[in-house]
Amino acid sequence: MSKKVHIILTSTIATSLMLAGCGNTTDQTVITDGAGSQTKPGEKVTIVFWDENAGPQRTPFYEELIKQFEEANLTIDVEYVGMPNKSAKQKYDAAIAAEDLPDVGGVQTTWLADFTIRGALLPMDPYFDQWSEKDKLNKQAIQSNRDVVQDKKLYQIPNTTNLDNLWYRADWYKEAGVTPPVTWDDFFAGIEKMTDKSKNRYGFSIRGGKGGSFQLQRLMYAYSGITDYFDASGKSTINDPKHVEFMKKYLGLYKTYTPESDITNGYKEMVAGFDTGAVAMIQHNIGSYGEHSKSLKPEQYAALAFPKSLNGNYVVEGFNTNGYSIFKTTKHPDEAWKFISFLASAPSQSYWNKQIGQLPTHEDAINEDWFKNAQHIQEAVKVLNDPNTLYYYPSVYTPDYRSILDQVVDPGLQAVMSGKNTVEEFLNEWAAAMEKSKKQYEQHINKK
Amino acid sequence: MSWNRKLDRFFVLYLPLLLTMVFTLFPFYWTINTALKHEGDIVKTPTEYIPSSITFDNFWVAWNNVGFSNYFVNSLMIAACTVFFVVIFATLVGYALSRYQFKGKSAFLLLLLCTQFVPAAMLIIPLFIIFKSLGLISNPLSLIITYTTFQLPFNSVLMNGFISGVPKQLEEAAMVDGCNRLQVIFYIVIPAVLPGLVATGVFTFIHVWNEFLFAFMLTNQEENFTLPIGLSYMMGEFNVNYGALAAGSVIALVPAILMFAYAQRYLVNGLGGAVKG
Repeated sequence: MSKKVHIILTSTIATSLMLAGCGNTTDQTVITDGAGSQTKPGEKVTIVFWDENAGPQRTPFYEELIKQFEEANLTIDVEYVGMPNKSAKQKYDAAIAAEDLPDVGGVQTTWLADFTIRGALLPMDPYFDQWSEKDKLNKQAIQSNRDVVQDKKLYQIPNTTNLDNLWYRADWYKEAGVTPPVTWDDFFAGIEKMTDKSKNRYGFSIRGGKGGSFQLQRLMYAYSGITDYFDASGKSTINDPKHVEFMKKYLGLYKTYTPESDITNGYKEMVAGFDTGAVAMIQHNIGSYGEHSKSLKPEQYAALAFPKSLNGNYVVEGFNTNGYSIFKTTKHPDEAWKFISFLASAPSQSYWNKQIGQLPTHEDAINEDWFKNAQHIQEAVKVLNDPNTLYYYPSVYTPDYRSILDQVVDPGLQAVMSGKNTVEEFLNEWAAAMEKSKKQYEQHINKK
Repeated sequence: MSWNRKLDRFFVLYLPLLLTMVFTLFPFYWTINTALKHEGDIVKTPTEYIPSSITFDNFWVAWNNVGFSNYFVNSLMIAACTVFFVVIFATLVGYALSRYQFKGKSAFLLLLLCTQFVPAAMLIIPLFIIFKSLGLISNPLSLIITYTTFQLPFNSVLMNGFISGVPKQLEEAAMVDGCNRLQVIFYIVIPAVLPGLVATGVFTFIHVWNEFLFAFMLTNQEENFTLPIGLSYMMGEFNVNYGALAAGSVIALVPAILMFAYAQRYLVNGLGGAVKG
């Protein structure tokens, strides 16, 4: 018996030791000041790259880009780690707390303020200023990346821009003899006309579930034409009377001209409604082109810019870019920058944005033929190149901006849709949360 | 049997069973149906309840392109090791709780149950820091330790119930015949609580098999990711690969279904024992 016990205990210890050897132990990280790599000349270096939105529809394109980069830079290996989009921020949060970060990571602009306040990112100004292609990158995107952080340094190089738009069933509108909306009145009237419950068709679908807040905000400001997120006295413009007016019209569509299930619509439910022919129009961005093209024929659907605002110009949300950052714990900032500058170069941006259906930030990539021939991209360019287009910049610099949208605005929208709250109560609550957050942020800054 | 009794039996027994079965099996049918469809057919209207043309491409994509072949092995290894440790430790803790009297036993039992109330998300950063200092980030051992720790309290209480159901006299008789305490546990108690052991093992396996949060947070290398992470890859920000997602779900379902099919009779007995205990 004692022999058997001995065998069990020995096997347990052996298994533990074996497993301990299974994974590669993470390197101890060293905080550098960005003053250069700790690499000897000619030494082979591995940099770790975290992709914040991985999946079979995107990862293969990164693998191709990494292959090209490694072929051009024989002394640098890139270790790709893909993260599911929904959990990427949580993963970064844990990694920042434990200072166990990658060298390079995909970072959304809305995360920049949070990450920089926690000292996780390396400023890239010294590298960027010496980069030969720096003047070809979208200046507005670079400047807004600087504006969003406290110290006004550059912590992220944007390689793709997105823009919200409408997707509509061009074939149904044509059949019904309805012109695609140019004004907001057309927008609401078109939705009513395209609703035919006998055919199980609705004119529109509202994203009432997760992520609905982002879309709603962009629609509200596009309608009102307001370009200040806060007025001079620090009061939020979220609950401006024009937004109240818009919301009443917009949510008035619910159940009558939109499916009842909209109250829980996330992205995939909303897009599935459009792609399966249950809905004539949705609001999303040019990034969902790939999803529509899988289910619908090119002549069945098209992208459409939001109507011009009540002031007569397009109003677009700033900070709608994604890009790459170097993390402060990197031992190889030079190699990390080399990789980022490769991803931000025209050929890489052209390849990447063509595959994912978004807008490059590099001037040379924008001038390529594929870009000029894509209807949805041209619709976005029409807005972005319009000299009268104005931008509004939400307070993404406050660390809790995102959590307010997720935890206050998303449930608040559902409360209005379910009749528990009024539009005014909802917008007042939203505005108050943003004002409080801004005030706390300013107090924090002033203390420093 | 009269016609009326047959009718009663149909409405009282067969119809509810049939409805329950349809309700339970429909998601499985729909998952398999989606996994076997071409990408364009999945969201096509009118909906195809039986695929017009069957494809196994989605399984190929999930297994090779997304890396399920690797994730499957990782999940299996981590689940098997966790089950091994949990079953051994839970049996020993359960035995101690059942057979020994010691000060603070009730408080200890309460404490074991209280550990279940701590939200996992709260523990991510502390655990990450601990495993980083031990050099175990991206090491399967970090997950095995975490899962074993989380599963042990509940399963120990469960085993306590099973073991309490075994008459003490059996052990005393074995001791009279010359067995020591460990021999009693291995020769008398364990065979008597086998259904309980299987129940503990299956519950632990299923929990570990489905766990996403810790698996994702404590692993920084793709080669060490597990199946739930692979499944979440299919749901991108702007794209959902329904075919591969369904195929991945079918792959992930197979071991769980096989395990339940095998352990079913033990589970019924085992749960009965735990309730009695």
